[in-house]
Amino acid sequence: MNFFDIILFPFRWIVSAVLWVFHELFTAIGLDPAWGFTWVLSIVGLTLVMRTLTIPLFLKQIKSMRGMQELQPEMAKLQAKYKGKKDQLSRQAMAEEQMALYKEHGSNPFAACLPIIVQMPIFFALFQVLRSVPKAAENNESIHVLAPNLVHQFNDSTIFGAPLFSTLMEPGSGNHAATITLALIMIVAMSATQFITQRQLTARNMSDSAKESPMYRQQQMMLYLFPLIFAIGGINFPLGVLIYWTVSNLWSMGQQWWVIRNNPTKGSQAERELNERRAAKGLPPVGMTKQQHEEKLAEQRERAAAGQRQQPVSKKRQRQQTKKNNG
Amino acid sequence: MTSPLTPEQILARAPHEYNVPRGVVQAVLRAPQNLCIALLKLYRTIVSPLYGDVCRYFPSCSAYALEAFTRHGAVRGLGLTVSRLLRCHPWAAGGIDRVPSGGREFVSLADTPKIVLLNHPNLVRDHAHDCPARHHAAQGANAR
Repeated sequence: MNFFDIILFPFRWIVSAVLWVFHELFTAIGLDPAWGFTWVLSIVGLTLVMRTLTIPLFLKQIKSMRGMQELQPEMAKLQAKYKGKKDQLSRQAMAEEQMALYKEHGSNPFAACLPIIVQMPIFFALFQVLRSVPKAAENNESIHVLAPNLVHQFNDSTIFGAPLFSTLMEPGSGNHAATITLALIMIVAMSATQFITQRQLTARNMSDSAKESPMYRQQQMMLYLFPLIFAIGGINFPLGVLIYWTVSNLWSMGQQWWVIRNNPTKGSQAERELNERRAAKGLPPVGMTKQQHEEKLAEQRERAAAGQRQQPVSKKRQRQQTKKNNG
Repeated sequence: MTSPLTPEQILARAPHEYNVPRGVVQAVLRAPQNLCIALLKLYRTIVSPLYGDVCRYFPSCSAYALEAFTRHGAVRGLGLTVSRLLRCHPWAAGGIDRVPSGGREFVSLADTPKIVLLNHPNLVRDHAHDCPARHHAAQGANAR
């Protein structure tokens, strides 16, 4: 066991335990334990558990995004200060001042790195567990919680005739056409969901000022590179891993769609769309009370009605006019 | 030193982060540090854009890690990085959190690697503003 394996051990154990629980559950409700779809559903269950665990973090983030509205005036000042400065150092200096501001107000809109970093070993562990199934079956071994008989069953299970542990490059002993078709469909789905999620994030939920940064250009480049990476990686992944990845991407896409729709970034395309929808329902724009909004509208209406600027009038004429009106 | 360099030019000319060894022994000793720097740079080009801005601190965790490994080497760099990652959780207030000073010394601004400049943006901006007194200012800011 190398260093990497030792770190991943607890994660592998958890992954195998979750798979086992779901398999027992589906067997208990009457599904055939050896049926391929029972195992596919177990993998889907595992994905959903992993993603559900991160929901509290996600809700916390939404809550702090709402808290952002208090520091809008100061944030606007900061944006004005750095307006039009597109070089990397100015962007960094602005990020620095922003962070100081968030800390001062005790609300931070970012999700934090730790939860994201923790999800990576889970994915690697899942990958290792699923990849070790064929070998463990061959050697009649158990995989942590999964007993040898379950490992055999898992290894022999097929969906539409394609073994769960076949890859596009090595379709194994099952129906090759089925493996290839399923793998291709999932690689396309995976790339498409990843592309859509990324594009939504960058195109619709970034403020216009953030779009000027060099980071944005890099993100745009990755947008087109990622489907390619998936496609290259995907041909070597067993179908079981592809199922996990596709379901996980679908979840991200849905989750993000929901956030962008309801809690868009200030000054982004999505925020303009949200305010249009709110206006159609007769609600004030985000971050304004009904009264504030009405005052603003009244002011605008007044200005529009006035049309032309009132000509300045001398004090003498003013007096004359009031006299005339009163008289 | 009459350098009319703009901040962008200074950044563009900044040296890389790797700790270039002199001799075989040093190359072996510095291999873990340089390997970690390479991996972090790879992470920052490929994985970071995937998530967008997530970090609750300035500099971000990966920028902090890269500077920590660049300045302090593999062992201390790893320790600093792990402790920073543990601090970057959803209940942390965030804010400005810089890599502790010390470790490798960068004599002038021209010797300072890009990541250090990016993590101390005012270093370069102050430098561009007042040329004569900058050296001490830069070192002072560096130590902060």
